[in-house]
Amino acid sequence: MINLIVIAISAVMFALPLVRWRWPAFRVWMEAPKYTMLRQERRFDEQVAERRVSSNLLVEGGHA
Amino acid sequence: MTTFAQHVMGQDEGPNARSSGALPSIEYDLIRAHILASLVTLVISVLFGITVATKFTFPEFLGGHAWLTWGRLRYNHTEGIFFGWLGNAFLAFFYYVVPRLADRPVLSRKLGWFLFWIWNFAVVLPGWVLVAAGFSQPLEWAEFPLVVAAFVVLAFILMVFEFVVPFLRARLPDLYVSAWYIIGGIIFTMLAYPVGNLVPELVPGARGAAFSGLWIHDAVGLYVTPFALAIAYYVIPATTRRAIFSHFLSMVGFWLLFFVYPLNGTHHYVYSAIPMAAQKGAIVASAYLGMDVILVVTNLLLSLRGSSGTASKDIPLRFVWFGVVAYLLVSLQGSVQALMPVNRFIHFTDWVIGHSHLAMIGFASFIALGGIAHLWQRIPGTRYNERMMNWSFWFLAVGLTLMVADLTIAGLVEAQLWQSSAPWIDSVRAVGSYWLVRTLSGVPILAGFVLFWTSLITGPGFSEASTSATSRVTSENVVAFESVSPASDELSSAGWLSHAHVIAFGAGVGFFALSFLVLAIVPGKELEDEIKQVAPVTMPTLTASEQRGRVIYGREGCAYCHTQQIRSLAADVRRFGTPIEPWETKYDYPQLWGTRRIGPDLSREFNLRPHDWQLTHLYDPRLVVRDSVMPPYPWLFDVGPGQPTQEGLDVLAYIQSLGRARQLSGFDRQTLASSVLPETPEMAMTSEPSARATPPGVPIAIMGGYSRSAPVMHPASDPDDLQGEVSRGAKLFAANCASCHGSAGRGDGKASASLLPKPANLTAALFSDERLSSVLWNGVAGSSMPPWRQLAAEDLRALVAYVHSLHAPTAAPSTPDAKTLNDGQSLFVANCASCHGGGGAGNGPAAGALAPPPTNFTLKKPTQERARDVLENGVPGTAMPPWRNQLSADQRRTLVEFVRSLYVPPQENSGQ
Repeated sequence: MINLIVIAISAVMFALPLVRWRWPAFRVWMEAPKYTMLRQERRFDEQVAERRVSSNLLVEGGHA
Repeated sequence: MTTFAQHVMGQDEGPNARSSGALPSIEYDLIRAHILASLVTLVISVLFGITVATKFTFPEFLGGHAWLTWGRLRYNHTEGIFFGWLGNAFLAFFYYVVPRLADRPVLSRKLGWFLFWIWNFAVVLPGWVLVAAGFSQPLEWAEFPLVVAAFVVLAFILMVFEFVVPFLRARLPDLYVSAWYIIGGIIFTMLAYPVGNLVPELVPGARGAAFSGLWIHDAVGLYVTPFALAIAYYVIPATTRRAIFSHFLSMVGFWLLFFVYPLNGTHHYVYSAIPMAAQKGAIVASAYLGMDVILVVTNLLLSLRGSSGTASKDIPLRFVWFGVVAYLLVSLQGSVQALMPVNRFIHFTDWVIGHSHLAMIGFASFIALGGIAHLWQRIPGTRYNERMMNWSFWFLAVGLTLMVADLTIAGLVEAQLWQSSAPWIDSVRAVGSYWLVRTLSGVPILAGFVLFWTSLITGPGFSEASTSATSRVTSENVVAFESVSPASDELSSAGWLSHAHVIAFGAGVGFFALSFLVLAIVPGKELEDEIKQVAPVTMPTLTASEQRGRVIYGREGCAYCHTQQIRSLAADVRRFGTPIEPWETKYDYPQLWGTRRIGPDLSREFNLRPHDWQLTHLYDPRLVVRDSVMPPYPWLFDVGPGQPTQEGLDVLAYIQSLGRARQLSGFDRQTLASSVLPETPEMAMTSEPSARATPPGVPIAIMGGYSRSAPVMHPASDPDDLQGEVSRGAKLFAANCASCHGSAGRGDGKASASLLPKPANLTAALFSDERLSSVLWNGVAGSSMPPWRQLAAEDLRALVAYVHSLHAPTAAPSTPDAKTLNDGQSLFVANCASCHGGGGAGNGPAAGALAPPPTNFTLKKPTQERARDVLENGVPGTAMPPWRNQLSADQRRTLVEFVRSLYVPPQENSGQ
């Protein structure tokens, strides 16, 4: 049982860097989500910023 | 009209639902509701914890009512943190982050509110009330009763719909690591939670413990850890506006965590009766886990490279950073703790409590607080008070550091004493001051949490809030990514790799099945086979009363201080007796092995102490053990210790049954006498014959078994040395003996009212060194006097010297004439010799069947008053009857003179 665990984990650990090294497209695909996440953040931030601008315009318009 | 399936899979949505331009809606009201619930339940849970900690120093504190007893509050403390605080905090974060990561809203707002109400008003609140009312199960991280557990499972099923389905509907080309952790954590916990709660109720003893171990570790490893890491992996890049160092490493960390964490569970039962292969597998997995955490933390900290200024200024990020560092520390600590040389030393001690607080506060709570603070700045209309938030961080950091350091040292002190032959109570005394510091360290922690809460509600409103968070939206990384995205798109459109969410879903199910097989089913089958082969045919089951007592024992949390798990270690065997065999637990539904020792292990309590001692101890432990920190249980009694309720009798019956099967089965062939000093190899395991064959069937240190070869302790002959011994003995007597024998040794201690036979009046007799040594070494069978042979020889000698000093003859010494002695002898032979023997040495024909044994008058010379009183009234609780109706006053006076004449003076004793 222990041998099985050690072999399985070791195999996975060696396989992953190997795939990453041998397959550049995999590397790109693998790293893509961290940029997607930031892009999503930017989209949400822009939406909040737009809301704030429109809210400020409304307030200013009200005062005028 | 759309079907439910269409709704779930998004086929009923309008054209804007997946439009690349429109952003999914975020349920801010649900986020606020869960944050509010998390902080309310956090403060309540911490108050439970501080109360529990206070009871270590002041055991009577709030101790008169069952609802406020230590065990029930302890259950509510951990369950409150687990479900109330962390559960709500995680849910709040999910509502914020899932729409961002999935580019889809959560499934349903109504479902969200239903989940909120289930979580808080069908799980947390009723769970607390039911536990306080005495409806619970004594299983770590599964203390809420099964009816509540059913709602927990329902809640996790709802979470799958609410948070996992949006990912399935989105069909994203890639999945960020936080999403992997959220999906995997939800799926895994949904499956593992019912196993940890239900299976130990159906599968007994050692086999059930294998399942419990699975859940004990999964609760932290696959519920708390994935969700906390999901927050860390989100808050760091979202704050620094830089991508994490390596998504590849984060995925390696994810898979390794889900692969090895479930295999860790059995490391809570190293040296136990669980098959060795499962134990070693868990230890190996623990070592791998340490490596995994190094990888994860390295990746997270490298993600902060170049952002040290942001990390120091941005308080949510600072909380997360602290949590990440604590994660590294606690995980490496955990890996080391699993190693056998360390485990045998620190397991069951306060070291482990420090470890768990480092995990749940230092790692999980700090990151959850950072997550809440992060999103609080981004919810419309909410901002935190920066100054208060900053103070909150420092209060928490200082309080936690103090608590963990204190408990770690306390654990080492306990471990050291447990390895020695010192009495158990010495370890309780030794860490008393550490427990006080631990309680005090809870104050800044509570203050930190309250400040955090206050900072949220006293922050500036939306219109005044800083806009810096949203104005920093650039990102070289994003631009850089967009330049390489075609390659990514090419790959992601190719087959199964694009279905990352399905893989994450499968990971949860697959690893659950793997851990279930490796840690529970395989060792369970092995145990079942062993039990069939080894268990005695006539193993007695529990009576109805004992069974009821077992339930009460569980509901009061007794198993959280008293293990029923003697490990195959010399220190355990010397102190508690033979290691537990799997077959001994075949009727334990659920197992009560425990993972902590504040009091001694109770596996071999059968025939160990008399009923009145046990009842007095239950009623008020400090009546019989002065420095005990055990809570009192007055609700198990009508008036005093002499009048237990049926529940009190049930608990007594259960405690007295522990170890009975082993003693009555004849399983142990070794005699006590031949194994007074068991030589069990320190590393011996249950599979090694030496560990099983050598130890006695009952604990040597506590019960001992009568030994005729008890060493005779002679006090010093030099007056100065003797005075020193008497002083030392006085202190020992006050600490260990006065609760029964009274501070002046008159047998009138606080416990004496409920003990039969009464504790000896040590001022009313002259004892020989041999007699005192024998009593101290062996105890007195049939009485509450335990053996004290675990004390050092110089301590025993000091006690002998002190007891000698207590004797104060009240009448002038008289020398009876020969006729009186002859008459007395005749009377003695006619009436007393059958028990006391012809020579008064306590060895008459009936003596062997009597407990306590008849007095040996050659070793004990009672005062005239005491001897007259005994002859007139007998000794209640012993076989000595009153003789006032059978013998005249003159005859009794004659007998008194005779038995006093039997005493052999000390100088002749010492020459023997």
